[in-house]
Amino acid sequence: MKRSNKEQLIGYLLILPAVLLVLIFLVYPFLNSFYMSFHKWPIFGDPKFVGLKYYIKLWNDDNFWNALYFTLLYTITVTPMLFAVALPLTLLCNIRAKGSTIFRSVYFFPVVLSFAVSAYVWLWLYNESYGVIIHTLKNLNLMSDDFNIWLTRNSSLIAVNIMITWKFFGISMIIMLAGLQSISDDFYEASKLMGATRLQTILNITLPLIKTSIALALILSIAGSMQAYEPFLILTQGGPANSTKSLVMHIVDTGLEYFKLGPAAAMGTVLMILLLVITMIQLYFFRKN
Amino acid sequence: MNKNSSDHYWYYLINIILVMIIIFPIYWTVISSLKTPPELISADQTFYPHTLTFEYYERILRWGSQDKEDANFNQRGSVMAGNIFKTFINSSIVSLGTVFLSLIVCILGGYAFTFFKFKFKEFFFIFLLLPLLIPSVTLIIPLYKLLFNTGLMDKHLALILLHTMAMVPLGIFMMRNAFSSIPKSLREVAILEGSNDIKILLTVMIPLAIPGILTVVVFALYISWNDFVFAYLFITSDENKMLNIALKQIAHGGSQFEFKWGDLTAGSVVSFLPLIIIYAFLQKYFVRGITGSAVKE
Repeated sequence: MKRSNKEQLIGYLLILPAVLLVLIFLVYPFLNSFYMSFHKWPIFGDPKFVGLKYYIKLWNDDNFWNALYFTLLYTITVTPMLFAVALPLTLLCNIRAKGSTIFRSVYFFPVVLSFAVSAYVWLWLYNESYGVIIHTLKNLNLMSDDFNIWLTRNSSLIAVNIMITWKFFGISMIIMLAGLQSISDDFYEASKLMGATRLQTILNITLPLIKTSIALALILSIAGSMQAYEPFLILTQGGPANSTKSLVMHIVDTGLEYFKLGPAAAMGTVLMILLLVITMIQLYFFRKN
Repeated sequence: MNKNSSDHYWYYLINIILVMIIIFPIYWTVISSLKTPPELISADQTFYPHTLTFEYYERILRWGSQDKEDANFNQRGSVMAGNIFKTFINSSIVSLGTVFLSLIVCILGGYAFTFFKFKFKEFFFIFLLLPLLIPSVTLIIPLYKLLFNTGLMDKHLALILLHTMAMVPLGIFMMRNAFSSIPKSLREVAILEGSNDIKILLTVMIPLAIPGILTVVVFALYISWNDFVFAYLFITSDENKMLNIALKQIAHGGSQFEFKWGDLTAGSVVSFLPLIIIYAFLQKYFVRGITGSAVKE
């Protein structure tokens, strides 16, 4: 009994640092964000309780809705692009041949780069006068000379989506690849014996069997897109005319630029709940099927 | 794969084209940083520099120096006070600090979850997975206030603590997996022989758990070195600035065209080079960190 008590104590001591970190830097701010969103935070003096005022105000706040709308638009456009690249590449990487490991490492490589550095790299590629992509398109007369991709929302969004696809398809790819490798070869043998074509095998055997991996990749990619900040901060800076301002960017501007801490905390809470709901819906959907 | 020769041909052709597309942005950044200023903005861009130059690398290193001869240079395009070397050191301090702290926190935690019995063990394990559930980017405002009130604002320690917190779920999970392949009797025998847990950890457990430890090291480096949001919002002085943020100042600064883009591409190379090197040697640990398991060779 004595020894088991001592064991318990040591056990708690060993996990204490991790528990403290999560408590102080996650759970406390998490609870505090609710508290903050119910209060007005003047620069001097004590916070004042305002109840649900900031949440109600959000309902009529055009900037908030625009940012939310744009974030959703970005999420539903970038996700299909990511999978359109990741899925074929997963199948390609699953072929075992000489050098396949090297190819796979290269495809995964952009994931390793930082979000910010990837954005700088593409900012240069996209530069309106000397960026290689724009320069080439203009030289080939595929783009008019005075066209600037950062001047309209849609062209900015496409440009950011291409950069994000390049940067992140590797994560979805590697998750699906791990799922693919857990499929026993027997399935393929059987399908071959039954005379299935390659496409039939992919549609009827491969995809259904890696459904869990696809679901995981999809949930991660949607949650990640909803939290987007850096690509817009660096590539578009929210422009033109705030039309590419993501929700997180709007939260940061409201809170840390205009020091409206209460409203910003309220928006953070809304985003958190939204993320939770979206993930739940996806989980439910994939379970059901 | 079929040993059919036309299949083979297609396989390599497709892969090589794809590799070239994926690598191109990186390749273009590297060669841009090595081109001379006139070449960087010449009307016909080439896929290789005609004259190699390290001018931009020297420029970003010399930033902020107080020499008289540099007054002219500073006017010509410098947009920030601190030099890039200083921000590189700052980023290294935070990254190494994160690795060190993550190792301590995760090794101890993983050890406890594998070898010890205590009440609410399952509860605590799930509790430590919370950072995966609650996206910390939604907590920017309360975190800002917390750091401000505790005097951690603009401190490297703040970033180290936040990055380590983000490492906790993966790190504890990885270390628990690594330790659970070690027989429990090993520890019991050592205890009976009069050894203590610290000794056992250092001499027996850690050497046996090297793959798990490397995953933690690689991922802590990845999280910390690549962080932008926290580094951008919670480090306010030029003196303590991180490398990625210094690059933002170049990108959005108003210096002369050819210098701005030369500086930015050179700075980007400085930023991603350490990660390329680590990736080249330890890539399977990256993959393990993302999928939670290994992908077959």
